[in-house]
Amino acid sequence: MSGPALTRRDFAGGAALLALALGLPAAGVALTDLDAADLSGERQRRLMDVVCERVIPRTDTPGGAATHTGDFVLLALAHGLAGTRTPLASAAVTPALAPHLRADGSLRHADWLEQALDRAAGGDFLRRAADEQTRILTRIDAAAFAKGAPFSPWTAIKGLILTGYYTSEAGGSVELRYELDPGHWNGNVPIAPGDRAFSSDWTAVDFG
Amino acid sequence: MTDQSNMFDAIVVGSGITGGLAAKQLTEAGLTVLMIERGRKIEHQVDYETELKAPWEMPFRGQGDAAEYRRDYPVQMLNRHFNEFTQNHFVNDAEQPYQKAPGSEFDWFRSYQLGGRSLTWGRQCYRWSDYDFGANKRDGFGTDWPIRYADLAPWYDLAEEIVGVSGAKEGLPQLPDGRFLPPMELNAVEQAMRERILASYPGRVVTIGRTANLTEARDEQGRAHCQYRNICARGCSYGAYFSTQSTTLPAAMKTGRLKVVTDAQVSRLEYDPQSKRVTAVHWIDTRTGEHARAASRVVFLNAGAFNSVHVLLNSASEAMPNGLANSSGVLGTHIMDHANTLAGLAVVPGFEDRTTSGNRPTGIVVPRFRNLDTLDGEGFTRGYSFQGGALQGTWTRGKRMAGIGAAFKDELHRIGPWTMVLTVFADCMPRATNRLTLSNQTDPRGVRQLAVEFAFGKEEHAALADAKREAAAMLTAGGGHVVMGFDQPGHGGTSIHEMGGARMGHDPATSVLDKWSRAHDVPNLFVTDGAQMSSSACQNPSLTYMALTARACDHAVSLLKEHKL
Repeated sequence: MSGPALTRRDFAGGAALLALALGLPAAGVALTDLDAADLSGERQRRLMDVVCERVIPRTDTPGGAATHTGDFVLLALAHGLAGTRTPLASAAVTPALAPHLRADGSLRHADWLEQALDRAAGGDFLRRAADEQTRILTRIDAAAFAKGAPFSPWTAIKGLILTGYYTSEAGGSVELRYELDPGHWNGNVPIAPGDRAFSSDWTAVDFG
Repeated sequence: MTDQSNMFDAIVVGSGITGGLAAKQLTEAGLTVLMIERGRKIEHQVDYETELKAPWEMPFRGQGDAAEYRRDYPVQMLNRHFNEFTQNHFVNDAEQPYQKAPGSEFDWFRSYQLGGRSLTWGRQCYRWSDYDFGANKRDGFGTDWPIRYADLAPWYDLAEEIVGVSGAKEGLPQLPDGRFLPPMELNAVEQAMRERILASYPGRVVTIGRTANLTEARDEQGRAHCQYRNICARGCSYGAYFSTQSTTLPAAMKTGRLKVVTDAQVSRLEYDPQSKRVTAVHWIDTRTGEHARAASRVVFLNAGAFNSVHVLLNSASEAMPNGLANSSGVLGTHIMDHANTLAGLAVVPGFEDRTTSGNRPTGIVVPRFRNLDTLDGEGFTRGYSFQGGALQGTWTRGKRMAGIGAAFKDELHRIGPWTMVLTVFADCMPRATNRLTLSNQTDPRGVRQLAVEFAFGKEEHAALADAKREAAAMLTAGGGHVVMGFDQPGHGGTSIHEMGGARMGHDPATSVLDKWSRAHDVPNLFVTDGAQMSSSACQNPSLTYMALTARACDHAVSLLKEHKL
């Protein structure tokens, strides 16, 4: 992980900053019993911000950056959402992944991504033009989702990016529709051109 | 020891689906009742803290803190109803430990709070039939039920009137119709599946799930009609689904004869060998550790199937050294849970221009069609039924797709393709080897923990293998393209229909309870939750528990009035 070593105090402060960035009361995010090494530095925050915007760019609705999706992804990775604290099977551990393993065998996904992007960029990923960043991410994405592809940490990271974006206020209620209290049920409705899905279709979110 | 010197006509242990109903029925019959709940108080409407929250208002966007879940909720987190919005309605596993016998896998999903699992239940309400009450006698597994459908039919009527069950009448003997509120509509794919499957497989009926969600308001109960949110387990301020808080507790409180104690873990029942009666209930205040006691003329155990057995096992005495009401030696044995898995999933083309509006809080059900009048199951003698439904994909499909950028985003805002899911629930055979015992380990309050020994057998595996084949055939007949299906059951407990352990039967030598849900050994002790079940059927069991509870309450009141208790 890049950045200076963090003390416990720094870590707690970082947690509070992260919570503020997410618009949450700091007390609502219990990071204090996690390893300080799981707190991302400022560069990883900027990097994840850019990655989220490339995956879900601003169009006629806000994108990943405006919704602070990157901060959610880092919070989620620190806490191990989407199985990201599950120890890797030994067969899945490649030379590219090995340096980023925790003692328990789980992977520091953010560290891996940072190194993978810089390596693919032949330098600082953040200094590349937006189109080049998109091309790099497209290659990583295509490799991860190719039929028969070996394990890639990108699939979990991408999943968390989507979760972060579509559960944000803009992603959930501007890009998609959100209706907490429909008050009615109609089982057969025509789809009109341009209809957007409901982020509040909980069955679809759980099983779709 | 605090002596609650007040004497009650009845003590009800537990405040969930059956405990709340027992309190209602007994107080409305004129009895003074103490209801003891081991969890915290949850006040209707006031304490549903996450009910109105959007994902972006939650620290982890509704997903929950996985680190916290691994540490404190390793079992509960496996429940599909468990998430950041609902986690405050489930137990903390670290604080409420139980043991599993070596080789046993049993995920025990629990809700310790006022209202119990009535706040988090799946709300499916089905009557059993004589195929079910006669099952043990027909194939010889377990012990014969001492009742039949006719004994319970009027009590099903009453339970449905209290609960408010929406559903469609289908005239099927294996799933008797009830007193239903208007059904919720099938969606376009489900309706097509119903017609196509029925054409290929006469007698196999895709019908709407019969659910405890009101399709018409119940002003007299202070309950509004369902708002079609489908977030029931957060708690519903509309009172639109049946829960203790929405329905039975207000009714019982209205009588002025109910006292409720929360944060009170019952440690044992006190038995008087002279009178052969239970005379008092002992509990531990879980906040202070203080011990307390109250006396009553009759006791209803409604702590949830396993916890009611747990109380009986922990109530061993010199007179009953193997546990209270256990002269038969079968207390704790023959526990069950439906064998459950995703039998089939199919993509269904042809409905790309159709969608739905609102969130329906129930799916569909395909009632049992195996081993009815003809034993046509290969390797199994009981039944299974399917539940599930047709649904459309949403943004989450992006997690399984390649792509980034504007085109990817554009794709994900569209309403996704239709899939149809059939999940199977199969009868679980009552076996002596599946059982509950007391562990030598104690919980944080010093009470010996429960140990669960459980495994499915060849009959359940055969039923699930058949279900996978039939699900694929039916989905194909319905116009679907089958993508996957499984025939291995999930862990025991996965169906959240754990039951048995204090089975009902004719013979005191081989059963714990008589036909009135009353202990053979202890005339003033009733067990009317899932513990009393002698077989599992393949229907969701809660409505049957309720019917049996109402019936037992009526019997207890009659006995009290006749001074026979």
